[in-house]
Amino acid sequence: MMSFDRPQEDVWGPRRARIVAGMLAMVFVVIVGRSAYVAMNGPEQAASSGHAAVAATRRADIVDRKGELLATTVPGWSLAANPSAIWDAGEIASELKSVLPKLDLIGLTAQLSDRKRQFVWVQRGLTQEEKDAVFGLGVEGLQFVEEARRVYPRGKLAGHFLGYTNIDGEGLEGSELAFDARLKAGGEPLKLTLDASVQFVLEEELERAFADFDMKGGAGVVVDTHSGAVRAVASWPALDPNRRGDFSADVRANRALNSRFELGSIYKPLTVAAAMEAGVLTPQDRFDVSAPVKIGAALVKDPHPLPNAKSVTAGDILAHSSNIGTALIAQRMGVERQKDFLRSVHLLGGQSHEGPQTASPLTPEVWDATAMATVSYGHGISVSPLAFAMTYTAFGNGGNYVSPVFVEPVDAAQVEKSQVMSADTAAKVMTMLRETVTRGTGKNADAQGYEVAGKTGTAEKPGPDGYDPNKNITSFAAVFPASRPQFVVLVVLDEAQPRRGDQRTASYTAASIAGKVIARAAPLLDVRPVLTASRAEAASLRVSEATTP
Amino acid sequence: MRKLTIIGGLIVVVLAVAVYRAKLGAEETQGEIDTLSAEASSIGKDIAVMKAEEAYLTRPERIGPIARQKLGLEQATPGQYTASEALSRRLGEERLTLPPVEEASPTSAPAPKEVKSREVQSGQ
Repeated sequence: MMSFDRPQEDVWGPRRARIVAGMLAMVFVVIVGRSAYVAMNGPEQAASSGHAAVAATRRADIVDRKGELLATTVPGWSLAANPSAIWDAGEIASELKSVLPKLDLIGLTAQLSDRKRQFVWVQRGLTQEEKDAVFGLGVEGLQFVEEARRVYPRGKLAGHFLGYTNIDGEGLEGSELAFDARLKAGGEPLKLTLDASVQFVLEEELERAFADFDMKGGAGVVVDTHSGAVRAVASWPALDPNRRGDFSADVRANRALNSRFELGSIYKPLTVAAAMEAGVLTPQDRFDVSAPVKIGAALVKDPHPLPNAKSVTAGDILAHSSNIGTALIAQRMGVERQKDFLRSVHLLGGQSHEGPQTASPLTPEVWDATAMATVSYGHGISVSPLAFAMTYTAFGNGGNYVSPVFVEPVDAAQVEKSQVMSADTAAKVMTMLRETVTRGTGKNADAQGYEVAGKTGTAEKPGPDGYDPNKNITSFAAVFPASRPQFVVLVVLDEAQPRRGDQRTASYTAASIAGKVIARAAPLLDVRPVLTASRAEAASLRVSEATTP
Repeated sequence: MRKLTIIGGLIVVVLAVAVYRAKLGAEETQGEIDTLSAEASSIGKDIAVMKAEEAYLTRPERIGPIARQKLGLEQATPGQYTASEALSRRLGEERLTLPPVEEASPTSAPAPKEVKSREVQSGQ
């Protein structure tokens, strides 16, 4: 009974107190733990904020070797609509069409009429003027969405080589495509080997050529003979990637990299070098080129007879561009050695490098004596201008073929090179190329002070009925300065017809343009002119000073 | 026991307030970070636009004619390069060369005047 008199709370009181104390202790532990967590993890949460993530994914800029901006990403605007908030889709579509003429009125009306949808794109990539015009309409149910826009502030400059992206910032052509992963990763600008000033000179001279010649297209390349760094690569007509939609497919084609040409006689120095390397030719050997020769099925002729045609050297053959002489040299060498040499300079394919790729070559299906003869002077084989320009690097650097390089920094130790001829052969061919300019077909390319060494090429264009004598590919491949070679320049013109006169061979077309390019580009490339006259002047001044009382 | 409960309760309240304040402080700091990040992003976009405008305005086809018309600048031609041996004569600098220190004497002091007069003559 006593137990019934004892208050129940007296029995459970200490237990409740312990339970409450335990709960308080647990809360205490939780609070302390949470405090420690906040204290330790707060900054990490801040670092993963949305703005930081957006900044990290901005597509990287593209700059030239000196840091000049070529491509960048700026804020842009796109126009979207909410159909569920639009009452008269037809009227709004008409109003939008009045300020955005490229819109498809019927399609847009249908989209805006679908009141189940809450978001449709009207037009992406608006200019500021278009945005202001739409804003001025005061139409309901529209919204502007900020989107990154890729722009090319220098317009047409290097337009083909830079390429472009789609509206979502994915590379579609040129460097934008070739370096897409690198650019998407953001960060530091992609520094190309191009020199914007030299690129401008090359493009401007191609543009000016159009004033003198009615031509279908053109291409040009400037390459460092030692490193393979491409300093300029141009295709004419030029392309402005900001307005790529305004250009035809023909203009959008990059003739320097993606078109193939039969480049004609600029192959002849390669034939001479290959024969020297094969040990079947010396500069003193003489050939009779006074009459056409038949090699295989080809009757090889010279368009103009050579001086002293019964006894000419390899130097004469290059200087006066003799097809007969070159074919005879190739005959000495034979098909296999010819192919081996062309393979070594990647004219039969197999060339790979980092950056925009070049068109693969077109070579003879059957490489017989006929093909051997025609290929020796650049017919029957088609390659891209860039691929061909790289072959001349060997003449300027002691016999090494170097692969093209498009991205700085160019590490001399990492340059891909292969010895394709001896330094002695390279030097001998360089001498012949210089003579071709001083006394042969390349006179119009002789930029004063820059010792241009080069070779002209005039090739009839192949058509459905064979070669067309009225349509030519004219080219000039040069190395300068001859005494200390530094750069290769190649100019190729497609169907260049003089607007005055009838001289349409490379001597009057491509050679002249190449000379102008070299004269203007050399100072920009830090190539000092050869100061023969100045030294003579200095010597004469000393003499006159000594005799002056 | 009651005292312990009260003290424990007070500690919990104090800690709760402290954590709340810390949380508020963290949110404020996060807000400031977001504001600064947005500002940095906005400035970054402005810089990108200005760099693009600079590149657009310094296009060679625009700068070239301005440099020619306003400043009379032209690209260097090979004829403008010269050997260092000829440079001193071209500029008349040989006359400006001071004599070596050991040869200098009070009697040779007027030399610079003579130089000046000859320089003017050659300039005429």
